[in-house]
Amino acid sequence: MVDNMETKKILIPLLFIILAIFPPFFLSQYWLHVMIISLFYVMMASSWNLIAGYTGQVSFAHAAFSGVGAYVSGMLAVNLGTSPWLGILIGATVAALLGLGLGFLCIRMGGIYLSLTTLGFSEILRIIITNEDQWTRGTMGLQVPGFFVEYSKASYYYLFLIVAILFLILIYWIIHSEMGLSFRAVLNDELAASSSGIDTIRVRISAFTISSAMAGMAGGLYGHYLMLITPDIPSLGQMFLVLAMAVIGGMGSFIGPVVGAFGLEILSEYIRIYGEYHVLIFGLVALAVARFAPEGMVGIIKRRWKKGGFS
Amino acid sequence: MNPKLIEAKGITKSFGGLTAVKKVDFHLDKGEIVGLIGPNGAGKTTLFNLVSGVYPPDEGTILFNGIALSSLKPFEICRLGIGRTFQIVRPFLKMTCLENVLVGIIGRRSKEGNPKEKSEEAREHLKFVGMEGRETVLANDLTLNEKKRLEMARALATQPKVLLLDEVLAGLNPSEILQALELIETIRTKLKVTILWIEHVMGAIMKASDRIIVLDQGEKIREGKPEEIVSDPRVIEAYLGESDA
Repeated sequence: MVDNMETKKILIPLLFIILAIFPPFFLSQYWLHVMIISLFYVMMASSWNLIAGYTGQVSFAHAAFSGVGAYVSGMLAVNLGTSPWLGILIGATVAALLGLGLGFLCIRMGGIYLSLTTLGFSEILRIIITNEDQWTRGTMGLQVPGFFVEYSKASYYYLFLIVAILFLILIYWIIHSEMGLSFRAVLNDELAASSSGIDTIRVRISAFTISSAMAGMAGGLYGHYLMLITPDIPSLGQMFLVLAMAVIGGMGSFIGPVVGAFGLEILSEYIRIYGEYHVLIFGLVALAVARFAPEGMVGIIKRRWKKGGFS
Repeated sequence: MNPKLIEAKGITKSFGGLTAVKKVDFHLDKGEIVGLIGPNGAGKTTLFNLVSGVYPPDEGTILFNGIALSSLKPFEICRLGIGRTFQIVRPFLKMTCLENVLVGIIGRRSKEGNPKEKSEEAREHLKFVGMEGRETVLANDLTLNEKKRLEMARALATQPKVLLLDEVLAGLNPSEILQALELIETIRTKLKVTILWIEHVMGAIMKASDRIIVLDQGEKIREGKPEEIVSDPRVIEAYLGESDA
């Protein structure tokens, strides 16, 4: 029985990965684009879930860190001719360092103060990017080179797929390691964790730094894919979309944000005709989910599954 | 001669206008069970929080093995060797019993031991407190008695030299109390842990303790052997109020 469970744990993801190889063969260019963007949101929502879902720190700076990654890598490419491959690594490192700094500054506060400080950081960053247009070209957008000499959506799809899978493996490994256990202990009861020998501040700052690095990397990829970086990347609109994906999919579960990212991105293609209102609708749905089904879609499905007597 | 494991001198803690603990001196000798009693609001739990580093004292010093604790954080104090339980139980509710105990083991940060050995050790701790077979149960689904035992197992997993027990008998039925007393005695004799213990169940704490400290309104009013304490008029007064006669 145990063996069966173990093989299932490896086989099911493997099946999905194999299935994920095929979309470029039959999807139109447009839907392939939707898939690529979905994979970007998988990276964003999953890494945000690592701090919000597993250590309970609701940060609003996640989109800002993706903007840091995008602009650092983009400006290096434009001004110094740095390769985007190297650029995204530097972008992720800068995002990690900023995350570490912001973490030191505000994580001791915790709760609502952390949320407010990260919200402030996010807006400051967006304003700087918008106004320092001699460097960032402001709202006109910064044109940056792509990863591949020959532009092909399929190559980007595979690139994003590989990075998203690597992210998910890393997150899975973290939440099942001792570090993940201490994350959950801090989320469950900070005082009890501290009294059991867990350095709660350190735990929360490490989670914040790791997740910022991931956001930076995701942002870098996103920028070089679009080849046009605008202050929309580090905007709060983007942040709330990521938040809605994680919350609706299922916060604090491994697979929830993945489901949420694909679900909402695909859905938003259908309701795009209503303009920017779709983010508003997602926000309302996320609120309802947070209130009535805090474990999200994945939680609802799991409960149904159990009731059906499958397990 | 018993070396002093914990020595506190003149510790004071106020919250706004209320002085919860006022110039209290106490010590713990190695291997002792010391009972800490007093009416509600006497400052017992505040004293525990001061020793375990939840907040620092306003005045006074607490030494553990000669190390000053006042500027240390709870996790540092825990790693030095002071474990605790909570008056209102605080297990990690959304984690399994085994995971709860594993947190205590991870908290020690010892480099030795692979994950398998650690989870084996966690099983041992659960077995020690009489919770064998409950490893995969969520802490949230436990009875109060089991939650209290789980907290003890988690505290023991940090390998404490001193264990602070905050009302571990409250809310238990008589047979559960007997089992808990046995467990605490085993912790002392087998694991050589020194125990400071807050309790309202008088019969039990008088029987189990070597020494009793009585707090009233933040001050230490009496200290001594259990038989001296029960007959002390000041202690009776603190509990029952002044007699008119």
